Amino acid sequence: MSWRLVFLAALLLPELGLAPFQGGLAPTWSHPLGTDDLGRDALLRLLLAAARSLGFASACALLSLGLGLGLGLAWWGRRLESALSALRGLPPLLFLLPLAATTGGFTLPVTGLLLGGLAAPHLAPALRVRLDTFRQSPAWAAERCLGAPWPSRLRRWGPYAWTQAAALFPSAWLSALWGEATLSALGLGPPPGRDSLGRLLAEELPRLGSDPSPLGWAALAMVLLLAWISAMGKGEA
Amino acid sequence: MAPLARFAAVAGARFGPGLAIWGLGLLLALSLPGTVWKAAQPPPFPWAALPPTLAAVALLGLAAPALVWLGGPGLARRRSLALLEAPPDLLWAAYLLALWPAVWGPPTLPAWLLAFLLAALPGEVHWLSQALPGEDPFPLAWGPRAQRRVRWLALRRLWPRWLAARLPLWLTATLVLERILGVPGLGSDWLARVSRRDRVGLAVWVMALALLWFISRAWDREHA
Repeated sequence: MSWRLVFLAALLLPELGLAPFQGGLAPTWSHPLGTDDLGRDALLRLLLAAARSLGFASACALLSLGLGLGLGLAWWGRRLESALSALRGLPPLLFLLPLAATTGGFTLPVTGLLLGGLAAPHLAPALRVRLDTFRQSPAWAAERCLGAPWPSRLRRWGPYAWTQAAALFPSAWLSALWGEATLSALGLGPPPGRDSLGRLLAEELPRLGSDPSPLGWAALAMVLLLAWISAMGKGEA
Repeated sequence: MAPLARFAAVAGARFGPGLAIWGLGLLLALSLPGTVWKAAQPPPFPWAALPPTLAAVALLGLAAPALVWLGGPGLARRRSLALLEAPPDLLWAAYLLALWPAVWGPPTLPAWLLAFLLAALPGEVHWLSQALPGEDPFPLAWGPRAQRRVRWLALRRLWPRWLAARLPLWLTATLVLERILGVPGLGSDWLARVSRRDRVGLAVWVMALALLWFISRAWDREHA
């Protein structure tokens, strides 16, 4: 989890400067992937976009885990089970489309809030399974029987619950990463001026077949690499 | 009267809050603000896209359970499957688009079908193999025939629930693939209705998704 959180700092990085008279340069030693149409170094732009996407995914994952933890705890009474199941049945993209049409697009924080909020119901069942072990433990029953106050219970069990939630961080992170990339590729992501992997793909995809640029291929390779690193990190046999 | 009231109470608790969420979705569809700058008819339903979509769903609906029947629950722990599952549908479509030979013309339905299967099949195999019961020590000890029989019985019970639960997700996947590959279809129909403010059409879509949710929940006997 920790190496992913480092990328949160990338959200504060400034944009690259424009140099329109140096646009469209072929790859050289000084610009290994060439420059884009606005004269920005393509490699730097790719690295910045990737770091920013990763930071954005980390922020979304933290938010969705926090919300998922709350929902998982609330779900203990099973009063919300049906509502959460309905929220999981509505694909986020189909919900975001009318919302984007209504509001005229999303800013970066709004996109993060929406993605985090929509991912939370998907995380809640897995969190609940993990939290059930301490819910059924004798120590928890004893605390309840003895009438321990809520702040004391939270101080004792909060860190445990967060450790369990942190185990789901990679999958929440990955779904946030793909969510942003998909929204940006469909033109519904954060506005122009905030580079991300999804925005790079959206820019490069239309001309990938006819006029393939090194930046387009590098962006694709970067996304594939990220997907595979995450899959390897799942600890499969 | 008492059993009827009890049934109503149980059904209300089981479906009530969920139906309220779908009701909100319906309200959002029907009250979608804004008007189009030029009056336009609602887009016609893409009937032509229905047979290939149904064919793709049927192919996926048969191929995924067949692979799980052959591979068993151990597939859920295969790293190769996790690697295939990891790239999103967006990426599969992008690679197909990039590698599509120009002499074949623009990528149409075959590319869409290929991208759909590439994106959905590994994930669905993983989903189904995770849902299968464990086989150690039994039916592993009873031999391969019993093992296959148990898998068949488990898959037969899982199949309708899986299909109803996953269809809305496939619809989202088709939307992304259709937009990238430029193929009109069911997913793009949703987008077209949003852009033309076809509130009734959107409401019908929401109701269809709600029906799928209702079916999958009615089948889901376990209290997860």
